[in-house]
Parts: sequence; C-alpha cells; structure tokens
Amino acid sequence: MPVTATGILALVAMGLVVVASTVIGSIGTRARGTSDFLVASRTVGPAANAGAISGEYLSAASFLGVAGLILRDGVDALWYPVGYTAGYVALVLFVAAPLRRSGAYTVPDFAEARLRSPGLRKLCTAFVVIIGWLYLLPQLHGAGLTVETVTGLPAWTGAVTAAVVVVGTVVLGGMRSVTFVQAFQYWLKLTALILPAVFALIFFVNADRSFDRPAPPQFLDRTTVDIRTDVQLQVQFPVSVKVTGVITGPTGPPVVYTDDETRLVEGLNTVQAGAKLEFAGGAPVPVVAGAPVTDADWLTPYAAGREYGMLGTYSLIIATFLGTMGLPHVLVRFYTNPDGRAARRTAVIVLALLGAFYMVVTLLGALSRLYTPQLLVTGETDAAILLLPAAVLGTGPTGVVLAGIVAAGAWAAFLSTSSGLIVSVAGVLATDVLGSGKVRDFRIAAVVAGAVPLALSLGVTRLDFSEAVALVFAISASTFCPLLVLGIWWRGLTDVGAFAGVLVGGLLSAGAVTVALSGFVGPGWLGVLLYRPAIVSVPAAFLAMAVVSRLTAGRTPVDVDQVMLRLHAPERLGLSRDRLAERVRRPTG
Amino acid sequence: MSTTEHRSTGTIYEQVQASPEFADLRSRLRRFVFPVSAAFLAWYMAYVLLASYAPGFMSIKVAGNINVGLIIGLLQFVSTFAITTAYGLYASKHLDPAADRIRRQIEDAT
Repeated sequence: MPVTATGILALVAMGLVVVASTVIGSIGTRARGTSDFLVASRTVGPAANAGAISGEYLSAASFLGVAGLILRDGVDALWYPVGYTAGYVALVLFVAAPLRRSGAYTVPDFAEARLRSPGLRKLCTAFVVIIGWLYLLPQLHGAGLTVETVTGLPAWTGAVTAAVVVVGTVVLGGMRSVTFVQAFQYWLKLTALILPAVFALIFFVNADRSFDRPAPPQFLDRTTVDIRTDVQLQVQFPVSVKVTGVITGPTGPPVVYTDDETRLVEGLNTVQAGAKLEFAGGAPVPVVAGAPVTDADWLTPYAAGREYGMLGTYSLIIATFLGTMGLPHVLVRFYTNPDGRAARRTAVIVLALLGAFYMVVTLLGALSRLYTPQLLVTGETDAAILLLPAAVLGTGPTGVVLAGIVAAGAWAAFLSTSSGLIVSVAGVLATDVLGSGKVRDFRIAAVVAGAVPLALSLGVTRLDFSEAVALVFAISASTFCPLLVLGIWWRGLTDVGAFAGVLVGGLLSAGAVTVALSGFVGPGWLGVLLYRPAIVSVPAAFLAMAVVSRLTAGRTPVDVDQVMLRLHAPERLGLSRDRLAERVRRPTG
Repeated sequence: MSTTEHRSTGTIYEQVQASPEFADLRSRLRRFVFPVSAAFLAWYMAYVLLASYAPGFMSIKVAGNINVGLIIGLLQFVSTFAITTAYGLYASKHLDPAADRIRRQIEDAT
C-alpha cells in the first residue's frame, strides 16, 4: 500500500516525538550509579513527577483501548477507566506511604526487608518480570497497530522501532531523564486528545445528533469496509451491501460474492477475512457479535444480551482496584518524591490528570460511534481515535495535521509506558538475576527486558488492548496486592505464608490468562472467569497467605516489631532507613 | 554496621512505640483510611448494583444524551479525586502536626 500524505505527516510527527524524547532525555544524563537510574536522585518536583506518573500509567490501553471499548460497549466500558483511576486511590491509601518508609524500591526488596526470605524474593522477581513483559506486549503491539493504521506500513516496523527507541533511552539515560521525558509525553498525549475532542465536539453539537434512539448507528457516507480477520456480525436490522468475499448467513452455507449486491439478513453472519463490504450512506451498521446493537442499548448499563455481566464487572473491579498497587513501574515512581508531603501532593495532581485524561478519552469514544462506525463491523475498535480526525474533518489540511498530532500522542503513550516498564524489569533483572547493581549490568538487563516482549508481540496477530491489560492487572492483584497489604498491615505474616499466597494467586491468574490468550472460549461463567479471574484468584491468594501464615506462626521474623514500626511511624521522625542514610550523608540536614 | 543501626534506633523505637502520642497518631490514620475506603468501595459497588437492579432509574434522561447512569459513572472519577484531595488535607491538618509533636518530644528528651 502506498504511503499517503496523511501517513507521511504522521510518520514525521512520530519521528519528532522520538527526537524530542531523546533530546529531553539526554539533558538529564548524569548517571552516577544504579540508584540514580532508579530514583532520579529525588530531585524531581511534584508537578513534573505527577506528569511522569500519569504519562507512564496512561498506556496505549488508555489512549486507544478505552476509547475503542466505549465505542463498542458504551456505558459498560466506563468500568475500565474508572477502575484504572480507582486503583490509584487504593495504592495511595494502603500502600504508598508505608512502602516509601520501608526503603524498598521494588516488591522483591520489600519482600526481603519485611520477611527476610531469599526464596520469596526470587518468586517476586519472577512475577515482576512476568507482569512487566505481559504489560509490554500490548504496548509494542499497539505501536505496530498505530503505524499500520496511519501509514499503511507493516505492523512489525512500528513494534521494532518502539522497542529500539525505548531501550535506547533507558540504556543511555536512566530514570532521571525518563522522568522528564514522561512528563513531556503526558502533556503531548493530553494535547493530542483535547484538540480533536474540541473539533469533534463542535461538529457534534452542530450536527444535532442524538444517541437516544432504538436504532443502530448509521454510515455517514458510502463506506467500504475491509475485513482483516474473520468477524461474526450480529444483524438486527437487515442491510443491503455490495460484497466481494465470503459470507456465511444465519441459515445457509458459505456464499462467495464478487462485487455482488446482497442483503445481510437478521441473525449471526460470519464474514471471512479478506472480504470487502460496501455500505450505502445512511445504512444501519451491523455490529460485531456481543456488542450492543442499538444506540439506546449502548447507552444503558447491562443492556439485554450480556450474560454474567455482573460477575465479569465485579471481577474487573477487583482486578483494577487492587492490581494497580502491584504494577512495578507505578510503585517505583513514588520514590522520586523528596518526602511524604510531596508524595501526597503528587498523588492529588496525578488523580486530577488521570480524571481529565479519561474524560476526554470517553468523549472521543462516544464521538467515534458517530464518525467511525465501520470499526464496529471490523471489530478493530482500538483504531478509533487514530481514525477520528480524518473522519470528522476529512482529508483536508486540518484533518491531516490533527491526525498527525493524534498519531504522535499515541506514539508517546507507547514510549512512556514501555520505558517505565523496561526500567523496572531491567532493575530487578540486574540486581536479582545478574547479581549486581552495576550500570553495565543494568544496561544488559534493559536490552533483555525489551527483546523478549518484542519477540512475543511479533508472534501475536490480534490483541484487544484493554482486555490484555486487564489480564495483567488481574495477575498483579492476585500476587503483589496480598503480599503488600498483608505485609504492611498484618504482623502475623510469615515467609512461607507469603510464598504460598503469591504462588496460589499467581498460578490461578496466570493460568487463566494463558488459557484465555490461547483463544479458548469456555461456556458461560467459566468463560467469564478465564478472562476475569480476579474474583476467584485474589481471595484465594489472601486466604492461602493467611492460613499458611497461621500454620507456620513460629516463623514470624524476630524483628517484626521494628519493621512494622518503621513502616507506620511518620517518616519525619527519622526512623526510615533511607532517612538515616541521608543524615549520614548530610550531617547538617 | 547494621548492628549499630539496630541498637541506636532500638531505643527510639521503644520510646515511640510506648508513647500515647504515637497511639494517637495511628488511630488518627486509621480513623481516616478505613471509613473512607469503606465508603468509596460502597459507592463504587453501588453503581454496579444500580445498573443491574435499577436499569429504569439509570436510564432516566437528564439532558440530551446524558442519563443518570452516565452521570454516576462520571462521578466515580470525581470521587477518586475528592478522596485523594481529602486525604492530603487530612494528613496536613491532623497527621503532620501529630508527627511533629512526637518529634519535638523525642528531641527534647535526648
């Protein structure tokens, strides 16, 4: 496919993001040792730090995936952004301050400081790496999708470029530079969304369209839809279509069409990959099976046809609410604040930034139902935001420029989340696998940390971003959340108990994820639980941890009282380990 | 090195742990964190329950395309922000002064 003018501009915009990130990153390059890499010397102000946390947290799943889910599932998809935001509150209330005081930078560090168990530390290291890689997978995949959607180049070029740029930044700069790069990228992302949202809103208000009608969305103009992977369409309103390709109707055998007029009849129609469907302007849009068909249903929570909606939603809530605190790249960010007060200020700013971002994403998702309804046919709803500017403004100069800005914003989303993840994964690989805190080992580890998910992402053909990310949250909620919460708030926890809990939660959730990703679709509630294991695996992990700790009560560490006091005493008393270290370094302070 | 650290801080630990001021500080923290978490979770879960058992209520139109369900959904964002802000204010007003009092006490005693 030849690269269009829009594609070239988008490529330039994405190139500029890379250049700007590298320049900003190199400004801060004063790497002295691994701790500088990891905690940015604690010289970052709350506003920059909040921007960095948001930039890191708002991944491709937020940028593209949430809007895509809103487009397809409507009000029911609000749970994803709400959950991602709420998870942050749980982190602030239960974990952030005590973990800071423990002086541990990572979950493995915390496990060792609290329970003095090298075995538990190894297990935690393994899960940090698993979670990090699984979270990197959709980021790189998304980078590929963005490049493919806006330029027509093959998807792997995007994934490879993103991986190389991110690993390069991390290897050369460490976290001090990454912090400023990410703050820059947050603002870029927000700008990239607000501009098209303002334009789209103006059009939306003028067009006087309403969602509140018992009819499906309509194609605005004559639209040709390319089907890239097999889709099942739920047709409620029969529609005429000109087809080239293979369609299996609700009753009949597969029929081969060659530029023939036909009619999609009521029921389930399967369209094979490679088909081309041409719809007339004003025709009702057939939607992928499982999504609400009419606009009114789309606007109503739990409209008809969603089986086990409650079970799935509760499980999703548990995963997102409890999973955020275990994400390695989110935790380590709290150490980049100079003290607890600054950490709290940072948290408030972060919540405001997250809220603002998700409101805009939600709005864009709703608008894309009006302007890019063809994505409901292909099922590639993750591309909604990328296609929205051109759909609203046409292929004139304004549309092309906006499309470029949006592509740049999406690109920033992949880069920022990926670099945070690679720093975290490389950190634990360097200290726990390579066995030293040397800068050279950290750099080798960063390359490994990027190479593995890149290889995985090239092997995956299709991935629903928000679904993939929700699975990672489920693993994090089932392993690190019980360890952190019980470790901080319950003095009876033992090393064996913690080990058992992390193992039980990890095996249940990771097992479900593996089965779900391999494409197995279970019947009824089982199918829901495979995609949303948290409602089972999180309580199981807590229970295993509590019961086994009780059974091995004799193994409670001897210094548990001291450790607990250090976790809960206010840090301005000077009891925290790193505060002491700081006083040694600066006797006058 | 680690033994000296333990010995030197051990006395501070004991002093602080025994003091009523420290107990007061902990109870201040718990008085905020636990009720607020419970209220937040209840509000969070209420949306799901309302959506399941009161779809009529949730689809009441407020203005144009906006219904009650949508407003409650968006209010979830507002509430997360409100809670964090409240926590920041509470900590500055009630936790930090209490911590300062304890520190002054320790400094006076030593």
